[in-house]
Formats: sequence, structure tokens, C-alpha cells
Amino acid sequence: MKDIIIPAAALCRELRIAVGCFLAAVAVNAGAVVAYERPWTELFSQIGYVIVIAAVLYLLLWPLRLLGRGACLLGRRIRK
Amino acid sequence: MKRERQEESGVDLNLRRFIKNLGYIAGGAALAATVPWLSACTPEKLQEIGRRRARVALIGTGSRGQYHIHNLKLIPHAQIVALCDTYAPNLEAAHALCPEARVCTDYRRLLEDKEIDGVIISTPLNMHAPITLDALAAGKHVFCEKAMALTLDECKAVYEAYQRTDRALYFCMQRMYDEKYIRGMQLIHSGLIGEVVGMRCHWFRNADWRRPVPSPELERTINWRLYREFSGGLMTELACHQLEVCNWAAKKMPQTIVGMGDIVYWRDGREVWDSVNVTYRYSDGRKIAYESLISNKYNGMEDQILGNLGTMDMTRGLYYLEEDRSQSGVRQLIGQVRDRVFASIPAAGPSWRPELRSEYMPHPVIEGAVHVNGGQNMIGVDEDGSDVILSAFCQSCITGEKAENVVEEAYCSTVLCLLGNRAMEERRFIEFPDEYKIPYMKF
Ligand SMILES: NC(=O)c1ccc[n+]([C@@H]2O[C@H](COP(=O)([O-])OP(=O)(O)OC[C@H]3O[C@@H](n4cnc5c(N)ncnc54)[C@H](O)[C@@H]3O)[C@@H](O)[C@H]2O)c1
Repeated sequence: MKDIIIPAAALCRELRIAVGCFLAAVAVNAGAVVAYERPWTELFSQIGYVIVIAAVLYLLLWPLRLLGRGACLLGRRIRK
Repeated sequence: MKRERQEESGVDLNLRRFIKNLGYIAGGAALAATVPWLSACTPEKLQEIGRRRARVALIGTGSRGQYHIHNLKLIPHAQIVALCDTYAPNLEAAHALCPEARVCTDYRRLLEDKEIDGVIISTPLNMHAPITLDALAAGKHVFCEKAMALTLDECKAVYEAYQRTDRALYFCMQRMYDEKYIRGMQLIHSGLIGEVVGMRCHWFRNADWRRPVPSPELERTINWRLYREFSGGLMTELACHQLEVCNWAAKKMPQTIVGMGDIVYWRDGREVWDSVNVTYRYSDGRKIAYESLISNKYNGMEDQILGNLGTMDMTRGLYYLEEDRSQSGVRQLIGQVRDRVFASIPAAGPSWRPELRSEYMPHPVIEGAVHVNGGQNMIGVDEDGSDVILSAFCQSCITGEKAENVVEEAYCSTVLCLLGNRAMEERRFIEFPDEYKIPYMKF
């Protein structure tokens, strides 16, 4: 079977994107706490929802990123 | 020894705990606005009674009468001294439950007995008023099953007799003594569900309402519920309780009544309808939508009070808020996004979507109550207040104190049931007749 090699740079990039998604989800939770006048303890107690929202954001980014990558490749081809 | 055990576990203790739970501070009137009838049975008054016992007799010892016997045996301040019934098998069955009680078949003889403080009437509806009037005239305290009477004029006669007497009179409208109803009503009156904008009550069953008859000539005696000379059908048997709850919530009486009643399934010679739909309209336009059908039980029994901010499901002791602020912020946000995405309803066109009931989060009216299965199995749901109201009556037999508004509430709901029947019978709008109005009613 062929080994799949993930370069360290790619891993680093994915990690950065995942952390970004998590922070965005925390921001959504904090926004909801302010908007619905809820206690700040929900920043911790609702961590499950935050993780789910982060995962959804991360997955939603995939098709966008694929589209972006495709557009880049196409651009390079045309320029050549 | 046995009595001590009863006091530890019986209705007496239930009554104390029940009233304490409701927040009655010694001699206080915390609940006076919602449940003035409880002021006749505070824990302090129960204490004053000491070891005295109410000597009570049961008139009508069928299914409900025997149920009351079971409850009375758990009330330390009650003593069953006599039983009366015209149907020997029921009298014997009741006597087997309390062999120390005297038995008779004519209630008038029983009313002459000076040893009896109060009577508990559980006969078919047609006998409620005649026995109640005779018993009050004989100086007895009276506890009568709902509904108050079979006719409007009998209701008025009972109400007027009650105005003249110093005896206590109770009608078994047990929801008035049911903790979850009282709690729910307090929450409604505190504004939790906003302005009450409508009421929706129904009672669905899938059963013919018949009982086995040993010989044909007993058909009407045993299946009295099915015949108009004895019974007001679904309205007096079932709706009576529910209409009382609506008036209690609305704090007023409906003014206009319209409805339709039919026999749609049980065409077995009965005279009362097996399907009724009645609308009661208050002067401000609010309505009670009442429905009962006994050939499909999918919807069960529900008493729903609808407010602009939420809904009180009295039967289950649960409430639901239109905008549920008790959920975490992020859940509310997700709910809103979901509603936007999935529940947008274009006014017309091919993408029209049915406006199905959204999911609401249930909140129990009694904190700590355990709900499973959406409130269908709730701990304490079988305690419907019947034992507490009976205990309160026995207390009144000893103290002589009348329970405030119990008769008035029973009068109001029974009259509404009977007017519902009249509207269905005559197939017309009925305005509440002036001759049956009493000062207690607000329109
Ligand atoms: N509060 C509630 O939730 C509730 C529940 C069930 C029944 N009820 C009411 O209880 C009453 C009785 O219902 P039930 O199901 O027990 O009926 P049932 O037929 O089982 O019992 C009625 C009994 O009354 C007896 N009776 C009739 N006429 C009599 C008379 N003149 N003197 C003495 N006894 C007489 C009958 O022989 C019978 O034994 C009805 O009014 C019913 O509406 C109330």
C-alpha cells in the first residue's frame, strides 16, 4: 500500500485553520451570550456546542478551499 | 398504632406537605388570590382539630364511592360511619371495604341520623341536586361529586340553598386542589405566559363508556352515563373539570356559546353524544375551544392555556415559552438560524411548506418534578387532588368552616356545561342567560 505523506507545512496550515475555526466558534458563543443576556459561564458550559460549530466551520471551508485551489491552478495553466 | 402509621403516610400528611409546598406561611395568605378555598384547610387549622374525626356517610358506593372510601381510610380525621346505595352488589362491595359502617338503601333514613356530620354523594348526576338539597336541609355538611346538577334550575336551587345554609358544601372539582394546577395557575396569573389569549381543552378516549350489565332491566341504572334522564354526557362528565380550569385562568366567564354534538361511532342505543365540539367566547373575544371524542384516543386529555408569550399545559404540569430565554445563548442562536433556514414560509408558490408545530422546550411547573416521555409519565400525576379535597371536606365537617368559592366555581363550570349542551341541542348561538348569572361571575 502506498504511504500518504503529509508535509509539515500542510499540517501546520490545517492546524492554523482549525484553531481559527475554534476561535470563530468561541466568538459566536460570546456573541450569543451578549445578545441573549446569558451568564458568561456559558463560555465554558457550552463548549460542546462550540466544538461542533468549529467542526462545521472547518468542514464548510473545505469546498471553498478546493474551489480556490482549482481557480489558482487554472490561472497558472492559462498564464503558461 | 395503625392510626399512627396512617398519620405518617396518609392523606393528612399529604395535605400538610401539599399546602406547605405551595408556600403557605403560618396563617399566611400567600395564595389567597389564586386559591382562596385553601384558607379553610391550613396546616394550623388541621393542628387545632387534634384527634377529632369527621363522621361521614357515603351515598352512592359505585366506582367513585369506593375510590373515596380508599382515600377516606387514609385520612386520620375521617371516620366512615354509614353507607347507602340502592344497588346491592355495590353496597356489598363497599361494605367489604369498611365492615364497621352501617348500611342502608334509602338516603333519607341516613339523613335522620344525628351521628352523621357529613355526607359524600357519588350517585349518578340526576341525584346530585335532590340529595344535596335534602342533606343541607337536614343540617349535614355535603361533599358532592361533580357536576353540580343535571339542569340549570337545579344548579340555581343548590346555589341558593348554599347561600342560606351555614353548612359546608364541596363539589369534587379536584383540579382546584391539584398541586400542579395550582402552581400552573399561579404562574399564569404572574404573567409568565403573557396575556391569556385563548384556551384549548380536549378529552379523547377510545372506549364505549359502557359497563357490563348482569340483566337487561339494569341497563339504564348501570349505564346511566349514556342516558339523558341521568346524565349530561361528555359535557358534565368530562368537560366540567376543564371548563372550571379555563374560568380560573381567565378570571371571568364566557358570554356566548355555540357547538355541535353528534353520535358518530357508538350507535348502540345511547342518547348522549360521543362527539362534541363547543366554543365558548368571552366578551373580549378570547375563546375556549372544547372538543371531546370517544372513538379515538390519539390526542388524550389536555387543558392548554395559551398566552402570547407561552403555553401552559396544565394536565402535564409543563409550560413552553414562545421565545425560550432559559436556553443557553448559543442554543437560542442555533434555533433561530435553523428556523430562518428551514421554516421560512413563502406566501404562496410551489415551495410552500406546512407550518408544523415547532419543538418547544418543556419546563415543569413544580421544580424537581421528574418528567419523562414529554411529561406523559410524571411523578405525582396520579395524585389529582381528589384525596386533598376530601381531606379538606372532613376538616370542614369538624370546624364547620366553608371553603371559599368551591360552590361558585362548580356552579360556573356546570352551568357552562349545560349551556354547551343546550347550544348543541338547539344548534344556535346562546348568550349567557341573565337568570343564571350570580354575583361571583365576571363577564
Ligand atoms: N371527580 C371525578 O373525577 C369523577 C370521576 C368519576 C366519577 N365521578 C362522578 O361520580 C359520580 C358517580 O360515578 P360512578 O362512576 O361512581 O358511578 P357508578 O354507577 O359506579 O356509581 C353510582 C352509584 O350510585 C348508586 N345510586 C344511584 N341512585 C342512588 C340513590 N338514590 N341512593 C343511593 N345510591 C344511589 C348506584 O346504585 C351506584 O352504585 C358521578 O356523578 C360521576 O360524574 C367523578
